[in-house]
Amino acid sequence: MQYGMIIDLERCVGCHACTIACKAEWEVPVEFGRNWVKRLGPSKVGNELASTYYPGLCNHCAKPPCVDACPADPAEMTFKDAKSGKTTTLSVAATWKDPFNGTVQIDKSRCIGCGACVESCPYEARYINPAMVDDVSSDGKADKCTYCMPRVEAGLAPACVQTCITNARIFGDLDDPTSEVAKYVKKGAKGLEPKGESIGPNSRYYGKKKDMTLLFQESTPELADMGSVKRRAMMASMVKPAMRKARDLGLLGLAGAMLVKGLSEKKNDE
Amino acid sequence: MSESNTSQDIASLYRFLAQCMQYPDPEWMNDDFFNVFYNLLGSLGAVTEGKEIRKALEQSSDFIEDLQIEYTRLFINGVPHVVAPPFASVYMDKSIQGSFALRTLNFYRKKGFAMGEEADLPDNLIHELEFLSLLTEEEDYVGEEEFLSTLFRPWYKCFCPRVAEETRHPYYRMVVTLIDFFTKEEEEDGFQLNEA
Amino acid sequence: MAFNLTRRKFLQTASLAAATVPLAKFVSAETGVAKVSLEAQGTMGDTTVVGGLCEMCFWRCQLVGKVRDGQLMKLEGNPKSIDNGTAICARGNAGVKLLYDVDRLKYPLKNVGKRGEPIWKRISWKEALDECGSKLKAVVDQHGPQGICVFPHGASAKYPMHYFERTVGTHNVSEASFFQCRGIRDAAYVNTIGKAPGEFVDMANTKVLFLTGSHLGENIHVSHIKAYINGLQNGAKLIVADPRYSAAAAKSDIWVQIKPGTDTAYLLAIMNYLVTNKKYDKEFVTKHTVGFDKFSAAISEWTLDKAAKECDIPAVQIKEVAELLAANAPNVAIHPGRHVSWYGNDFQRERALACLTGLLGAYYVKGGWVPPKNPKIGKTSWATQEHGDEHNLNVSNNKMVHPFKPPGTPTELIRDCAITSKPYPIKGCVIWGQNPMQTIPNQEKMKQVFNAMDFVMCVDVMPTDVTMWADILLPESSYLERHDEIKVGVGKIKADDKEPTQFIAPRMPLVAPMFERKDQVYITNEIARRMGHEKDIPVQTLEELVNKTLESANITLASVKAEGGIHLQPGKSGYGVPEDFEVLLFNEEIAEAGFPGAPTYTPVEEVPAGYARLLYGRAPVHTFNRSQNNVWLNHEMPDNPVWLNDEVAKKLGVKDGDTVGFINSEGVKSRTTTTVKVTPGIRKDAVYMYHGYGSANPLMTAGVGKGVDDQSLITKIAVDPETGCHGMRNNFVKLQTKDDKTLDFPA
Ligand code: SF4
Ligand code: SF4
Ligand code: SF4
Repeated sequence: MQYGMIIDLERCVGCHACTIACKAEWEVPVEFGRNWVKRLGPSKVGNELASTYYPGLCNHCAKPPCVDACPADPAEMTFKDAKSGKTTTLSVAATWKDPFNGTVQIDKSRCIGCGACVESCPYEARYINPAMVDDVSSDGKADKCTYCMPRVEAGLAPACVQTCITNARIFGDLDDPTSEVAKYVKKGAKGLEPKGESIGPNSRYYGKKKDMTLLFQESTPELADMGSVKRRAMMASMVKPAMRKARDLGLLGLAGAMLVKGLSEKKNDE
Repeated sequence: MSESNTSQDIASLYRFLAQCMQYPDPEWMNDDFFNVFYNLLGSLGAVTEGKEIRKALEQSSDFIEDLQIEYTRLFINGVPHVVAPPFASVYMDKSIQGSFALRTLNFYRKKGFAMGEEADLPDNLIHELEFLSLLTEEEDYVGEEEFLSTLFRPWYKCFCPRVAEETRHPYYRMVVTLIDFFTKEEEEDGFQLNEA
Repeated sequence: MAFNLTRRKFLQTASLAAATVPLAKFVSAETGVAKVSLEAQGTMGDTTVVGGLCEMCFWRCQLVGKVRDGQLMKLEGNPKSIDNGTAICARGNAGVKLLYDVDRLKYPLKNVGKRGEPIWKRISWKEALDECGSKLKAVVDQHGPQGICVFPHGASAKYPMHYFERTVGTHNVSEASFFQCRGIRDAAYVNTIGKAPGEFVDMANTKVLFLTGSHLGENIHVSHIKAYINGLQNGAKLIVADPRYSAAAAKSDIWVQIKPGTDTAYLLAIMNYLVTNKKYDKEFVTKHTVGFDKFSAAISEWTLDKAAKECDIPAVQIKEVAELLAANAPNVAIHPGRHVSWYGNDFQRERALACLTGLLGAYYVKGGWVPPKNPKIGKTSWATQEHGDEHNLNVSNNKMVHPFKPPGTPTELIRDCAITSKPYPIKGCVIWGQNPMQTIPNQEKMKQVFNAMDFVMCVDVMPTDVTMWADILLPESSYLERHDEIKVGVGKIKADDKEPTQFIAPRMPLVAPMFERKDQVYITNEIARRMGHEKDIPVQTLEELVNKTLESANITLASVKAEGGIHLQPGKSGYGVPEDFEVLLFNEEIAEAGFPGAPTYTPVEEVPAGYARLLYGRAPVHTFNRSQNNVWLNHEMPDNPVWLNDEVAKKLGVKDGDTVGFINSEGVKSRTTTTVKVTPGIRKDAVYMYHGYGSANPLMTAGVGKGVDDQSLITKIAVDPETGCHGMRNNFVKLQTKDDKTLDFPA
């Protein structure tokens, strides 16, 4: 099973209802969003004018770079198939791809807030939620769209789907050929793959040819350089406790002052 | 001095601070009130500041109205903008009655308190001070410290400087400073600069 | 601050003088403890409160609230709704943030500073009401009831408006929804088909949807947009006339990039083409229209070529449009529009739309204009009284100044009278939910009106720009905290239902009002008591008002609540032309009043050299200025980039994203700046921006100074002669760069 979402651009009117409903449902801080709507154009596409929207959200990717990027200590987690009740135990970091429903999720209690996953997501679908602080991270935790799994498990539609005024958002199991989402894929709904890559985005778009061209022209992302993302994240998470201590003891200020002094002395020397 | 006398004093202190933050009204903002207020400042060694406030009040033709206007400007709807609404959620959730208000309410409940009929929002500064007063009355110092560090200081430290810097009346500068002083964590002894 | 003691020392040693303060706002009670987890819990487990009726805009979608511990967490469409269903738009969803907006008005305020530069002081309700009552009474005593003018807007303003109009007895009431918006449309259709048209086009079943300058998809009204998209998905062809590649144009089959102000010429040419080529619905015209001959003679000059030249569009395109309409008639939807106060020649354009619908026989047919058969409810309010026309500013020398005006008195007549005190003084002003500073053209003139007053009072939920001019400012409970307004309509429970179902949805509060906010019945009644109208008060509470209104439908608030917040009853479709239905293609009454009896095109002022015409419109996440301070909505669209033609931009040396200000042809500069959106999707002689931005009131901490206030640049006043409504698109601007250089538009 692989949950996925279709956004039918023929129906979308760019009203942002999805964005706001999600904010209310999941208490997303004002300055962030688990999804977004961008108006594209009017621009020339070939000889024609086109204008459409880019309603984006987490793609719950087939090969999610964010999962690979997470440096948190792995832990054993048991997953359960909602349908068959089957379970399986995997060793996962603080973010993972669910082996049964295909969604990508975060364990807030284990997330160290380093931001590696945020930087690794080519769609900028993640943010650090500063409202979520605990002993593990005082900076907040990684947060993003969950495909509304708690709602879906309660038998409800995702909040953004429920409020969509034109039924432009359609949610379901892409692996089930009878589902509406699978039918859209057959009709040609496409995900926004990063340039030259294939990470298998599961939020997909369907629309008039010129609108799709405009969307892909303006919204195709690039993959982050994972090597450096990961290295920076590792460094950050390793040195964090020590740096905190230093800051608490007032040492950082001193170091800063010395550095400034050093620089100005150098200038004088020249 | 016995433990319970101390806690009574602290409790009254919190209540008094809460009172200072009420909308100015001649009903309570009278000579008696200011006597207590100047007294308190005196025992803290803030005599100069006390004099400054006294001067500001005495120079005015209607000091209650001055304070009412200033209160409205600072805390309700003011020009050029409301300086500092006295609600935690405003700083933590950018809204009135955000989830921080709910967390505050839950803390009250955990301690066995609920909002009274006439109460404003749970995260109103006045109620938080009243709550601290009730906790100290019950000698729940652990609760007091926990409340201060998790629910009070995080927003008060944003609120206080806004008022202190932007107020046009020394009374409110003093009130928020007093509250700040009494709710701040004690600095480590070694770093205490002006130890008495 | 140099306190000598440390806190700990002080607490250990000092003994405070007893400051015993009797305050027991916390009442001890044993309650459970809710653990707060990091993960947001979602609203699935929250209490559902039914009966909400949205008023983030005026479409009034039906809501439920998700309430946790007395706190409204989320708004959703009421699952019982057959109108919006479970869907609500961005603004509807963001109602939570209006409810809890930090900047919302909380207590009655008195301005102890100057009008326009207020210093606010909180006062008690008693003091506030005494002041309003005595000051308004003094105006009436000295100058008569006509000495009061009223600027109302929204559901809550109806009750006080009726009080001042009917009981106090002033004609001087100007509603923005009429005089600065859709009044022209209603007046034009009333004088063509005898009815206001609403937006009753059967879009879901139409074959062709015909839009003139529409904001469908930029202004969101949920059920209307649903029908629009369903129509397109069912294969309807879409024709959009707009100088700009609007949201609707982006979905269109034919985009007519018309020159601003010339729409009537375009419509006349289409009609003339249909008439001369005998492509109109002859049977309908014979049976249901009046004045065909005079009408066709009057429009005969409008050949395709003439219109093509006037409208700056290809003649073949007009022909293509006419042919497409004719081929699909009568199942075509000629949309009457909504905001139509554009150029001061708008009554005739709206008449043309109504006539075009008639020529195509597209009234009361599938896919055409089909008024819903709505359920009947009562009209409880202040009793109507006759006050004569002696002080009616619209009557001069026994003649109507604007004979086809919508209800109320045309704004400009009121303003001129207030400023000059001729023919009589107007000295009291009541503003209720309207923001005249950002709805009525020429802000300086508006300021003069306020400055001419002895007393100005304002009732609102937010400190909008106009509230700065109030002497007394009263905080109103919002639509989420009060009973009110009843939405009625028809819809289908299942898509394939044969007959529609009627619904009645009265507004019910989802949460209790906070602080000292009060509703309109309380405020109005208290003022009425103080003005000596105690005995005329029709109801004591808002709840009673709604219950009385529901009486004739045999339901009560309680019964509707038990039904899930919406009452449903069987209905009938609106198809089938009534026998006596008439379309006045030529209207003798209009002709007798000295105006053209057949739809006529009057050209508007040309764009002066170096300028561009300022066009404005709607942002899908905002309702004009009303929602600007909503932090969620503000975050979605914080400013209003100005659309600038790409070739023009190149010539001006302006790039996408540049910051610009404006100066208009009367020398008025914008207070703030915005960014440039360079696009091929707008004509070279016009610029466009979203309306309602750039709030001036610093009390709106999220919205103040964000983007440019288009209204501040609309200083030239055009008045539609038949209706007295404003035209607001005859203003011209130049761009100003950051270093104050003024850029001339190329010829
Ligand atoms: S869209 Fe971004 S956050 Fe979501 S699974 Fe893909 S990489 Fe991860
Ligand atoms: S699926 Fe849920 S979490 Fe994801 S964007 Fe939609 S509402 Fe937000
Ligand atoms: S269209 Fe949107 S703002 Fe208007 S009533 Fe409906 S939900 Fe509310």
